[in-house]
Amino acid sequence: MLGRGVKRKWSCLEELEAETLPAAAEKERNGEEGGGDDDGFLVGPSKSDMNHLQQRQLVLGLCMEKLQSYQAGMELSLRRSVLLINTLRQIQEDMQSEGAGTSETLLNHTDSCLLREDMQVTCPGCAEEDGDSLSPPLSPEFPSQEANSLPDQQKSLPAAAINTFSDAVSAMGYLSDLTLDDIFDDIDTSMYETSELPSAWSAGSLWPISVSLWTDEDVKMRPPSHPSAGTLQSCLMDLNELDHIMEILVKS
Amino acid sequence: MAGPGGDMQWCFSQVKGAIDDDVAEADIISTVEFNHTGELLATGDKGGRVVIFQQEIENKNLPQFRSEYNVYSTFQSHEPEFDYLKSLEIEEKINKIRWLPQKNAAQFLLSTNDKTIKLWKISERDKRPEGYNLKEEDGRYKDPNSITSLRVPVLIPMDLMVEASPRRVFANAHTYHINSISVNSDEETYLSADDLRINLWNLEITDRSFNIVDIKPANMEELTEVITAAEFHPHQCNTFVYSSSKGTIRLCDMRASALCDKQSKLFEEPEDPSNRSFFSEIISSISDVKFSHNGRYMMTRDYLSVKIWDLNMENRPVETYQVHEYLRSKLCSLYENDCIFDKFECCWNGNDSVVMTGSYNNFFRMFDRGQRRDVTLEASRENSKPMQVLKPRKVCAGGKRKKDEISVDSLDFNKKILHTAWHPQDNIIAVATTNNLYIFQDKVN
Repeated sequence: MLGRGVKRKWSCLEELEAETLPAAAEKERNGEEGGGDDDGFLVGPSKSDMNHLQQRQLVLGLCMEKLQSYQAGMELSLRRSVLLINTLRQIQEDMQSEGAGTSETLLNHTDSCLLREDMQVTCPGCAEEDGDSLSPPLSPEFPSQEANSLPDQQKSLPAAAINTFSDAVSAMGYLSDLTLDDIFDDIDTSMYETSELPSAWSAGSLWPISVSLWTDEDVKMRPPSHPSAGTLQSCLMDLNELDHIMEILVKS
Repeated sequence: MAGPGGDMQWCFSQVKGAIDDDVAEADIISTVEFNHTGELLATGDKGGRVVIFQQEIENKNLPQFRSEYNVYSTFQSHEPEFDYLKSLEIEEKINKIRWLPQKNAAQFLLSTNDKTIKLWKISERDKRPEGYNLKEEDGRYKDPNSITSLRVPVLIPMDLMVEASPRRVFANAHTYHINSISVNSDEETYLSADDLRINLWNLEITDRSFNIVDIKPANMEELTEVITAAEFHPHQCNTFVYSSSKGTIRLCDMRASALCDKQSKLFEEPEDPSNRSFFSEIISSISDVKFSHNGRYMMTRDYLSVKIWDLNMENRPVETYQVHEYLRSKLCSLYENDCIFDKFECCWNGNDSVVMTGSYNNFFRMFDRGQRRDVTLEASRENSKPMQVLKPRKVCAGGKRKKDEISVDSLDFNKKILHTAWHPQDNIIAVATTNNLYIFQDKVN
């Protein structure tokens, strides 16, 4: 699953899907670059083949995909999550330094760029800024098909991505346990008598925050923005209910 | 050991593990460690088992001897657990094994999974008592009325039996995943490090540990850096280092304060701006840190290189070795298939003149610091005839591929050598592929 509205072209993954060569058949190649197999062999264009924006978009898509995928029942590696989020932040900064700060401005900027007939990826406005982070203009030989699809990506990317950044950073702020959320969504809570519990379930991701942090004794340091903290505390104290819930979770 | 002018010629000695290509997940080797004399070699796997090999030396008096490592003991160190509160499995995979220096007839090692460290005692039994008064040989109790005389039981020889028993269990001290353990030179304490904290333990005490490093921010959303490895100095019992996911190493002195959050030294190399990319931070993340045996240097491993640091110089490493620079242009693909997150280890040889680390395609690399030479070797079943000399391998980064070279795109990224170990005195190395352990020996040992 990718970030919303992010289309993938020129992606390593697409080349991967297109190739169907057997993995072990040829161990040695004849010095040809590019091409590839599934199952452990490198595929896709090298860095020089992709310009900066294309690569950024690809990395953004992959980043979101990796952050959103998880193995049920297994704890996420904190190191991996931190590295992914830092990459996401870097992309965000890169995008913000390229255009203006807000998504709306970026959107307009890109629109106006793409209206130009020469189909330059970077318009003079962008080019005036720090040159390091910008990509060189597309060469004239660039096929028109690609050029047409680029605007789609460029238009949808800033708006969707900028919004999902803040979503991702806050959601992935190591406070939400995706596995638990997923399990809780399926549970029918009508069988529990206490009035307190349903509100705890509806708080959704707040439950795992308390649960995962309790060994740290960090519960009191939670951000004050979570309104049902008090309710959760009292729920946590109800150990009988907890045992009952855990029985069901373990059996499911 | 080969003299400074000698060229090391590595030969195949042994390979341990299943032959078939279908790898059982539990058999994936996750750690390799020689003990302090090199007589014992321990491996841990994803299934929570520890296998110890013992060296049996033929004709040690001859200049050229062949040593063989045979299974000495196998035991289940850790079992999978279930964290009921988080509703998550705790893997039984052994992350690290560290041997304690030997003090008596028994051997001791620490093994750890993500959450729990265990101290194991491995002892030999080669005698058994015989001649009990009240019991038959098979263990049945005798009828007391039938006993007419008393005798003293005697110890008689028996087939060697190696027993492993857990002597200490150090649990419930880590919220995050343990990545390192390190025994102190004082032989009384050890440290364990997870993503955000480092704890100091006394080997005798299991219900208490001191927290000596804590980098957890008050607001977890501000977290940008984690601890990736930690180690005690080999001689100074007050000094340890820990590395981070941002490529920094901090050296701490436990005498300075109880909580070593403020480092004594910060080792960091400024980033090369020409190499900057979206993957710069990920590839700068240090996956392993090891002090040299003499305690003057430390070595770090990041994704593409091995760096040697002088403990007296913080602003840059004294030596940098490129492990597989040809991957720099492939970082996007490696990010996609997750290989960029692989954690390679590194090790020193006995006299700190050579360092070794693993790579992909079952290649491993050695860097001779004195002679400024490096070599790429391969651990494979094809090169597994007894005492077969390993041929150096070469990767063709681009352009015309020469004969015997392998091109970057043909490398198998599923075959990675993450764990390697070097005998503390001799030129014997243990190299772990996914599920096999290769032992190589220098031809002129």
